[in-house]
Amino acid sequence: MLNLAAEQSDNVLSADELAKREGLRARKPYVAEKLANIYSMEERGEISPIIRLEKSYLCNFQCTHCSAEYYMDRHLEKVLHVKEDRQQIDLENIRDISRQADELGLARFVITGGEPLVMRDLDDVVAAIDPDKHYVILDTNGWFLDDAKAQHLKSIGVEKIQLSLDSIVEEEHDEFRNKKGSYKRVMRAIDATIGAGLNLLLSTVLIRGQPKTQKFLDLCQFATDKGVGLYVSYAKPTGSCTDHPEFVIEKEDADVLRQLEKDYNVFTHMTPSYGSHKGCITVKGIITVTSSGEVTPCPYIDFSIGNLFETPLKEVLDRGMRNPWLGPHRPDCLIGEDPKFIKIHTEKTAGATHLPLPWGKGFSDNDSLTD
Amino acid sequence: MEVEALQKAQEDIMSETTPLFDEFGRCLPTGLSSHAHQKTRRYFLIDKPEIDYAASYQRLNQAFAISDALSQEQFEKRVSSILDGIANDESMKAILNGVKVPFILPKALYDDIGHAMDTVYLPAVASAFHTSFPKYEFKNHSANALNGQLKVADNSRHQNVLEQMASDVVVGVYFPCLLEYSVPAAVERISSLPKQFSLAGGFDTSAAFISMPNLLLRKEGYPPLLWLSGLASVEENVAYHYEAYGYDLNFNRRVHLGQVAEYWASGITVTS
Ligand SMILES: C[S@@+](CC[C@H](N)C(=O)[O-])C[C@H]1O[C@@H](n2cnc3c(N)ncnc32)[C@H](O)[C@@H]1O
Ligand code: SF4
Repeated sequence: MLNLAAEQSDNVLSADELAKREGLRARKPYVAEKLANIYSMEERGEISPIIRLEKSYLCNFQCTHCSAEYYMDRHLEKVLHVKEDRQQIDLENIRDISRQADELGLARFVITGGEPLVMRDLDDVVAAIDPDKHYVILDTNGWFLDDAKAQHLKSIGVEKIQLSLDSIVEEEHDEFRNKKGSYKRVMRAIDATIGAGLNLLLSTVLIRGQPKTQKFLDLCQFATDKGVGLYVSYAKPTGSCTDHPEFVIEKEDADVLRQLEKDYNVFTHMTPSYGSHKGCITVKGIITVTSSGEVTPCPYIDFSIGNLFETPLKEVLDRGMRNPWLGPHRPDCLIGEDPKFIKIHTEKTAGATHLPLPWGKGFSDNDSLTD
Repeated sequence: MEVEALQKAQEDIMSETTPLFDEFGRCLPTGLSSHAHQKTRRYFLIDKPEIDYAASYQRLNQAFAISDALSQEQFEKRVSSILDGIANDESMKAILNGVKVPFILPKALYDDIGHAMDTVYLPAVASAFHTSFPKYEFKNHSANALNGQLKVADNSRHQNVLEQMASDVVVGVYFPCLLEYSVPAAVERISSLPKQFSLAGGFDTSAAFISMPNLLLRKEGYPPLLWLSGLASVEENVAYHYEAYGYDLNFNRRVHLGQVAEYWASGITVTS
């Protein structure tokens, strides 16, 4: 998803990163200042999670592994025969979330989904977040990301694109994403993003056994040669991926990847970055706000820690940090690696129609690691 | 005086009747006001390493040049005597069910613990790790930054280890058995354990890693992070630790805020 601490302390930045930092400082001094504070916040035991915003789940793809599929209207209506009848966040709510986040010193938003580039109100959402107050990042499958779109995104204040590329082999990427031509569109999107002066990260899903394959090394090499970071997301057994437990990685995969970090510009959400060694980033490094105002502690955990229609963001974050699964430091991925948690998650979400499970039904203040 | 004597008698009775360690050698978190998990699901674990005295001795001698003062045979004998002493004590013997790492420390007296870590102990861990695992990496994230940063933690009994070092070569056994303890809980717990137990700090923990560089190298599951709880940082709420990163080994600092984590552990040292 993103190099979490990539916008932190200056003294460890490369020349290129430093130039970008200076550019941001000139254009958006307030945002730059907040980003520079993240390290000292962590040192004081405060958190500054990135907020992923899922306002819409509309998507032009139907990927094999998609964690968001079970949130989509097409799944609710065609598969489960139910309607999304919960209150949905609007632009006013996003303005309020942006304000609350700002007051807590939070500095980063990722617009995700679904596919953000099919959202009709994307420009309004960016404006509601307020790119002069927050560093705005966009997740995309790249289908609609041509030169004009990239320049437009830059002009409305988006800073960074996270572009999904699941294989360096064209046919494999297209097959995984169930969309012929999608690989070519990603290649176009890479050039368009760089051309428009946006920051770029490639995002790839890691499936069991993959880190030891030549194809994976080729993908790492490709990103490294392009001078672009490759963010590796372990396949999480949620959404459509629930049907693919065989995708879930083993520790060896994670360890081989940790070794590859030394040779390639490749990292996971748990890779130490600029002095920050967070490990699993639930709540501490990331939260997701779903279209129904629920806050989940990780994009791939379908248990809410509170609803922003009812509970202020600060209280929701405190609640998350108090939870024994989520708050304490740990080196492994909770939903991608911990078999006990994966089992609890799979069992509790099985048969649920409206995800995430609300606070009290998935996570609660009574949670224990040992019960 | 009377009150003290009474307290002491009470402690003696407690330690005779209350088990100190569970069947896996974890030190039970009894009577603590600081944070520690009462129960554990045993998720972050160290695989019990086989003791190879010859290999440990060779690495420790490489690091500290102790062969004139202590032979391998004497090393083995003194470790056996520590282990036998523990095995013969009902309340203590279960600690032997857990991980134990014999080590040697040189005779030495340092003005500054941090400086000695920077110049002697961490480079020695790096060298032992690289020799054992040339493909993996030992990374010291606090390289040459420890001068003046570390002191013995109050009430940790770690001073005992340093005092012994000042007078002779020390042989000891490191037990990473304070699993799922906060740093303050580790300090709190040590004061109610039998007096031969000290909280491990920088030199003894490092010597344990020189003795067994593979201590945290675990392929099937994740090992815990090991705090040097016998040492306090001059920065409040900060402590130093060893931690695996995949197949690599890291030395680092972090803010702990007195919190507990399933992933965090501290070690006990027993010396001869
Ligand atoms: C949910 S998508 C939304 C943004 C956009 N539609 C895209 O595909 O990039 C965000 C990222 O999550 C990744 N992702 C989706 N399902 C996943 C899963 N089960 N495990 C790991 N990553 C997943 C996607 O590959 C993508 O990189
Ligand atoms: S991963 Fe992205 S592109 Fe694929 S179905 Fe999910 S939201 Fe759409």
